[in-house]
Amino acid sequence: MTDRRHRRALVAAALVATLVVVSTVATPLASARPAHEIPVVERPDGPLDGPDADGWEAVPASDVPLTSAPSSVPNADNTTIEEVNVQAATTDDQLFVRLEWHDQTRDESASDVRAFADAVAVQFPANRSARPPIAMGGQDNRVNVWYWSGDTGTQELLAGGAGSTTPFDEPVIDATATHGGTGENATWTVVYSRPLDATSENRTAISDDGDLDVAFAVWNGSNGERAGQKAVSEWYYFPMSGGPGGPPYQTLLWTLAGLAIVAVTAVTAFGVYRAGGGPN
Amino acid sequence: MSSNTQNDGEDEDTMITVADGVDHQVAMVMDLNKCIGCQTCTIACKSLWTEDGGSEYMYWNNVETKPGEGYPRGWEESGGGWQSEEHSDRQTGEIPDREDYGRAWEFNHEEIMYEGSDEPLRPRDGAEWGPNWDEDEGVGEYPNSYYFYLPRICNHCTHPSCVEACPRSALYKREEDGIVLVDQDRCRGYRYCVEGCPYKKVYYNTVSKKSEKCIFCYPRIEGEGPDGETFAPACAEECPPQLRLVGFLDDEDGPIYKLVEEYEVALPLHPEFQTQPNVYYIPPFAPPQHTDEGESVDVDRIPRQYLRELFGDRVDEALDTIERERQRARQGADSELMEILQDKNPAEQYRLEVFEDA
Repeated sequence: MTDRRHRRALVAAALVATLVVVSTVATPLASARPAHEIPVVERPDGPLDGPDADGWEAVPASDVPLTSAPSSVPNADNTTIEEVNVQAATTDDQLFVRLEWHDQTRDESASDVRAFADAVAVQFPANRSARPPIAMGGQDNRVNVWYWSGDTGTQELLAGGAGSTTPFDEPVIDATATHGGTGENATWTVVYSRPLDATSENRTAISDDGDLDVAFAVWNGSNGERAGQKAVSEWYYFPMSGGPGGPPYQTLLWTLAGLAIVAVTAVTAFGVYRAGGGPN
Repeated sequence: MSSNTQNDGEDEDTMITVADGVDHQVAMVMDLNKCIGCQTCTIACKSLWTEDGGSEYMYWNNVETKPGEGYPRGWEESGGGWQSEEHSDRQTGEIPDREDYGRAWEFNHEEIMYEGSDEPLRPRDGAEWGPNWDEDEGVGEYPNSYYFYLPRICNHCTHPSCVEACPRSALYKREEDGIVLVDQDRCRGYRYCVEGCPYKKVYYNTVSKKSEKCIFCYPRIEGEGPDGETFAPACAEECPPQLRLVGFLDDEDGPIYKLVEEYEVALPLHPEFQTQPNVYYIPPFAPPQHTDEGESVDVDRIPRQYLRELFGDRVDEALDTIERERQRARQGADSELMEILQDKNPAEQYRLEVFEDA
């Protein structure tokens, strides 16, 4: 009797173990990535040089949540853009970053006294040795910013704290933008590009090793957003050495949690079955 | 540096409060009793500084009829300035609408000049508001209607809320003379200065996408003209009735100091905005009200309460002082105040070369 009971328990345990192993293998564990990582695809097939370029189809997108930036300007907590969708890829000599966000109004002009243009910015540490303060960097720890607005086009900026933004004399950033769709589905798509090798003082060095910190900001012009009144992300990073490109860790964790629930339920059910319906 | 130019506020000798970090403070006194509303100051300023693209709608100097909506329309209710004399919290403000400034009208010159039209010369559609739209309207009923002219420039305030409003410190108060300027290299067109100025005297250039304002004609007062001579701002020099005095508030020997600090008859506009303007006004006198038969009655034509709303409660004392001194002069006594107000000494009108470091 005792032997049979033990054998049953072993069979049950083996079943659960098999279930867990199979499920785990089915989940792309090896390619999962941390929540703040945005994968960078190296040399995807097809061109990347525009919002609708074919190459972007093979590049995974990350949904980056945005919140109002802490700022002393009036109405700083009144921002409207809640998420920006980010993709990144490299070619042999360029880094491309594609940003897409919902904005019903296409604000491209600042030619009226009350008009402000839509804008988007990508922020990197000017010096990668330390992560700068998120809000425009600090005096000793500056940030290199790629800025595009519907009114002025592209600018490359340097900042060492709020209010210190200064354009580069010789920018190396390009951007192309489109606004498509209507109503709530209307979106801006902006593709930035920069040569990988564009060494200069105060400009972020992009190499194929380590993680490159990156943060994002979006302004909705028709809501009067400008300066510190903007929707911003936390620090994210591009794994420049080619990190895992699968679903984020969150997805994996939820999967594991689900499996654990299934397993616990199975074991409990088995136990109940054995206690009630077994021999004796 | 003279004794009255300490940077730590009021010093022992004077009551002058010059802003922190500023050596001397330029100032202007405008005598509203002399303004004839001819707009020569407006045009002098415009032809000098705001004729380029994007600045057409700006009048760094304007002359508006009071009571009236002013320029831009409703500026007195547009917010800005400080919440209190502590100068710790600013009052929120609004950027005026383009329509409130007024647009450049298109006229039917083409039809009349080249196409033989008989219609009168007039603006095409859309002429529904503009600077001076309500010129000379005033308020009140015949025979007791009233109005007066109010010339306005940037007040180059001691506590400029436009400077404080700029998150980039693109606006600053010049150390040598307290002139408030916009650094065109630093400005990124955010327009917090436009909404932050309670007098709406900072303007957004719609072409350069940067803010601009009255510069107190600093190249003129620095002697940057053709002959290296120092000139007062163009709005002052070109004024036909010469209603403006220009100098330094902390020049104790000058007429501005006497009018502002000693006689206290020159008052800032809307002192409740708490920016401490450095443009001062001699408040307007008007004949008393009349009966239908033309008999004078002892009632103020311009209600005193209206003048208090513009110039604060000190206007009562200022008007009383002027009235008293006027009476003295009428009776043949000497009145320094009346001498100053009549510009009996033109050499004193523009005193711009009294300080070596300004």
